[in-house]
Amino acid sequence: MKAIIILSALGLATMFVGVYNFKKALLPMILLGLLAVIGINTMEWNTNIHYYNDMLYFDNWAVSFTNLILAVSILVFLLSGQYFKKNTDHLEDNYSIIIFTIIGAILMVSYSNLAMLFIGIETLSISLYILAGSKKTSLASNEASLKYFLMGSFATGFLLFGIVLLYGASGTFHLHGIKDYVIENHASLPTIFYVGILLMMVGLAFKISIVPFHFWTADVYEGSPTLITAFMATVVKIAGFAAFLRLFFTCFSSITEHFVPILCILAVLTMFLGNITAVYQNNFKRMLAFSSISHAGYMLLAIIALKESSFIAILLYTAAYSVATITAFAVLLMIKAAHQENDSIDTFNGLAKRSPFMAFTLTIAMLSLAGIPITGGFFAKYYLFANTISAGYTWLVVLAVFNSAIGVYYYFKVIIAAYFKEGSEEKLSIFPAYQLVLIITAIATLLLGILPGLITEMM
Amino acid sequence: MTEIPLQHILFLSTALFFIGVYGFFTRKNMITMLMSVELILNSVNINFIAFNKYLFADKLDGIFFTIFIIVIAAAEAAVAIAIIINLYRSHKSIDVDETNEMKY
Amino acid sequence: MATANPIDYLPIIIQFIVAIGFVIFGMIGSHLLGPKKHSKVKDDSFECGIEAQGNARLPFNVKYFLTAILFVLFDVEVIFMYPWAVNFRDNLGNGTWFWEMILFVVFLMLGFLYIIKKGALDWD
Repeated sequence: MKAIIILSALGLATMFVGVYNFKKALLPMILLGLLAVIGINTMEWNTNIHYYNDMLYFDNWAVSFTNLILAVSILVFLLSGQYFKKNTDHLEDNYSIIIFTIIGAILMVSYSNLAMLFIGIETLSISLYILAGSKKTSLASNEASLKYFLMGSFATGFLLFGIVLLYGASGTFHLHGIKDYVIENHASLPTIFYVGILLMMVGLAFKISIVPFHFWTADVYEGSPTLITAFMATVVKIAGFAAFLRLFFTCFSSITEHFVPILCILAVLTMFLGNITAVYQNNFKRMLAFSSISHAGYMLLAIIALKESSFIAILLYTAAYSVATITAFAVLLMIKAAHQENDSIDTFNGLAKRSPFMAFTLTIAMLSLAGIPITGGFFAKYYLFANTISAGYTWLVVLAVFNSAIGVYYYFKVIIAAYFKEGSEEKLSIFPAYQLVLIITAIATLLLGILPGLITEMM
Repeated sequence: MTEIPLQHILFLSTALFFIGVYGFFTRKNMITMLMSVELILNSVNINFIAFNKYLFADKLDGIFFTIFIIVIAAAEAAVAIAIIINLYRSHKSIDVDETNEMKY
Repeated sequence: MATANPIDYLPIIIQFIVAIGFVIFGMIGSHLLGPKKHSKVKDDSFECGIEAQGNARLPFNVKYFLTAILFVLFDVEVIFMYPWAVNFRDNLGNGTWFWEMILFVVFLMLGFLYIIKKGALDWD
């Protein structure tokens, strides 16, 4: 909770520091602020406080997801210094909107009232509509912004209609109130309640790009400024899945038979469509977009299992996925900074000769996304699948493993381009901030793979 | 005779919701699509008020939710208009079919 | 709750009819009763002053849109003050009741200060 208050103050401060022309001080201030927020947030560990009439509930899951979101945001901010160097006109706007997005994400992982879920999702989405279009002169950026807005607001409509039907049936917005209502009326739940669950599912599925509500993802990821894509691909996924799981685990875990079959179908469709389409992509950003869709499919398995350990599975998986995605985008940004305005996978050709360090970190990231052992991605996938098997969905896990095998193909395409293809010979210099980010993410990926107990035992 | 039954109001709001959905799918003009989205949000508002008044009149939860929806719809509309103006400057058109820079 | 008959809605229907009727009456009446003199000068949009030029449907300056958007945003925030004001008298004893709204207004004012500093309201 204190995290939200401090971040709001930080966001306002960012706006005014920028307006009064201390732009040099912006980035250090934000980074220090975010680090301080992580510290303060960690102090709420094990306190389990209900804030503001039970609007927000900071249990250990909320605290750990908040910390994950903040850590990923720090990495994004570290990259942003160079990214916005050429264009500082709207620096403070971009920064403060990113901070407001983080606030929305934190609301989404800590809500215990559907009103807060709605406000969190909208704070996150509206900020992201602006960020997606923040490259004002770029046609693709404008278009991405428009598509994201149209799809996002349409999804909001569905989510809201779902909320209103749940309210009509149960008369409350509190997650625990709805849970009690479900348990009391287990046998005779009205139809509008089921329709409400379905509509909320559609609304949330839009936000986390589950097939068949995924079609905006590739265009938006491709068109948005690359740094914003990195932010979108990570923070929105973390917050979206945490919110999805929190809602379904708290409220509907006693009536799983009514929606789990639908989720199973969606998960299978998502995995197959994401992976198979990603194979055919030549644009790196589009490939990552479809890979993010397929990862959403894997993570849906945790929601299908719907157990307490699903939280750990989602936490581990989003952590591994975010760290690897940030690495991939950082390398892409670095190459593009050397005047190659092209997102094609061919830009990685000969990367091993141009900069062995970047090629190495990119390899770790791709191995982690593909789920190859000793990286974080492997352990996260292993934990997720084991969790799903223990809930009795072995057939889904078989399909998921098959899909991971497809995934290996296109992730290795990038590694092969970096190591075995001939490209430009010109050496790439690397900015210190990017080097720092790449070192942090590489270490984090390996650490998650070798010592996953750090996270699983803490819970 | 009695007061207007809840079902009638729900019928109205559901009809509005689907008119919005229909408009969203069939119209090509961005402003009209924005209006369709607003229709969807307002149908939800009607639902909230109706449920609150007819079923749970002892608390005002539903009415307060509509206040949040109204405010957020305004914020959304503001951002949408900004996006559309920006797009109009580059495309000289507000037809969604013109936005085909990126294709599958 | 008091029962209501469909007949009770009659005043609303009458009001509708009167409203529509007045519009129709006004349009037809002025058309029939008014004197008609046609000439090139009379049919101009503006009878006096400089001659009208070009099409009336020119695109607006984007500044108008900006002002309109900002107006909508600040206008809608007032909605949060209504529930607060309605319960003001009952909550006078509550220490933070007044200051919560002050905080809200301070946030709004910060936003206002920001758009002024950003120059969003400068006309030139």
